Amino acid sequence: MQVPASVLNDLFTQKLSTAEGKEKVAELGGPYVRDRLREVSFARKVVPPEQVTRADCQRSVNHDTLVKIVDVEPQSRAMSITFRGQPTARFIRGSKAEVAFFTISSEVFQKNEQELLAYEMPITKIIEENSVKDIQEIEDREWIIHVEAAVQALQQEANGGVVSTLNQSTVGSTVEFSVRKGELARNASAATAEVLPVQRPDFVNLFKMLDTNRLRSERLLITEPDFTDLLQWTVEDFGDRVQSETAVDGYTYNIILGRSYIRTIKTDILRPGNIYVFTKPEFFGKFYVLNNTKFYIDKIANVITFQAWEDIGMGVINIAAVRKLELYSGDASPNDADGLLSNFIPVSEDALGAINNRVDAGLRFPQVSAF
Amino acid sequence: MSTVQKINFEPVGDILPLWRRDLPLAVPSLADPLNAVSLVDGEWVTLDNNYRLVRAADVTSVGDEATLTSFPVFNERGRADRMGMAEKKTTIFFRGEYEADTRIFDAAAVVTGGAAITAVLQPLMVATIAIAGRNYAGLVGHAGSGSTAPIVGYVTKLPANNGGKLRFISGYRR
Repeated sequence: MQVPASVLNDLFTQKLSTAEGKEKVAELGGPYVRDRLREVSFARKVVPPEQVTRADCQRSVNHDTLVKIVDVEPQSRAMSITFRGQPTARFIRGSKAEVAFFTISSEVFQKNEQELLAYEMPITKIIEENSVKDIQEIEDREWIIHVEAAVQALQQEANGGVVSTLNQSTVGSTVEFSVRKGELARNASAATAEVLPVQRPDFVNLFKMLDTNRLRSERLLITEPDFTDLLQWTVEDFGDRVQSETAVDGYTYNIILGRSYIRTIKTDILRPGNIYVFTKPEFFGKFYVLNNTKFYIDKIANVITFQAWEDIGMGVINIAAVRKLELYSGDASPNDADGLLSNFIPVSEDALGAINNRVDAGLRFPQVSAF
Repeated sequence: MSTVQKINFEPVGDILPLWRRDLPLAVPSLADPLNAVSLVDGEWVTLDNNYRLVRAADVTSVGDEATLTSFPVFNERGRADRMGMAEKKTTIFFRGEYEADTRIFDAAAVVTGGAAITAVLQPLMVATIAIAGRNYAGLVGHAGSGSTAPIVGYVTKLPANNGGKLRFISGYRR
């Protein structure tokens, strides 16, 4: 059922004037032109969030914030010995890591009720619904920065503790332990930011980086444009049955080379050319939700104010449980040897949600002005 | 001489009217409490060209004075919420008037354009100070009308009458 948006806006303001009015106004959205697709969090698909309460967390004696301490599996081993020998001893100790909580908030939205009457779309409802996805975008941005820090830390360790440039000219000399260049990038003639199509051996080599360390690659994270390059694979990659299907329906299977995958349209957060592979969550890290998204709304005189926020904690505990494939020939290490790093890392928070439409600039066609 | 403790900056008025802005640290490791020069609450920071926070004065050089408008840090050292996020954002009092107690000051320091803190309503400026062998970007006295150093506040209670803490009200002047 569609409810006219102007009615919703009216209800929204009326509701806020009543005693019980600070609850959410539940209604259905109306028709309006969307600026972009919005997507739920991909981080939540790789590491499903766990709800925690204050009782699960630890306080600090130095400040008023909370962490949750996570135990890490202790080490153990067995050995062969003679009938007369004895095994070595191990004084048991398990590592622990803290996951810290912080807040992700929407903007504080404000509008006066008179101007709200000028909208036929349920603007407050749209913003409220979009705020949840905006918050999840920041979750993803935070999370992918942590993931990238993890692969770079392991890569640095594998290169003798030195941050090592990895571009088309250093392939072969830089150890590719947790970051690997794609086949086409390895053979590029120059270090550029151009994203080259993913090849089947790229996936295989990516999986092997994890699988050779007594872990198993389970899930890929890939951008939509990189995934679309799969459609360029030939009959030699797919075999004729899948090639036939793909030519008609696209790639419709939910696994590829035996691994599940997560596609994302958030190419300003996970930049095209970067593909990560993860183990199962229990080998990787934690994602805790201390407070689910809360929505605050208030009306003072004729000005309506609302805001949404959540309190979460996320941590990559086992940095060896993720590996990265780079489909471009330029360097994406902290060295930024080619000056291209800004093409490969998430854009700033301020730049997220840049608008697609140009309506405010007068660019829509035909250009009609109503007087 | 002041002493740095767990809590070094405490507003003594309502914080709701203030613009408390969270901005990333230009040097994220300053959020690490084990860093020898980690940022503490009550230190003063300013903006760089990338809308990130940097110390208002060169922390390696005692007596270096802040030449830009600066803002007080409202995050204690070692806060987990700051360390838990990717960009190590730090809360500052960005705009709005406030009164606060701080331990990050040196009443005796006299820097260029400065004077020892001796009187109520004396203007304050920011400079690198040393407390117990460690440097901070903190408050020192301003010499008054003869100096062009940015003023960030005015003394409202001298440390001798305030349990060793300096109470001041904000007030910017360049």
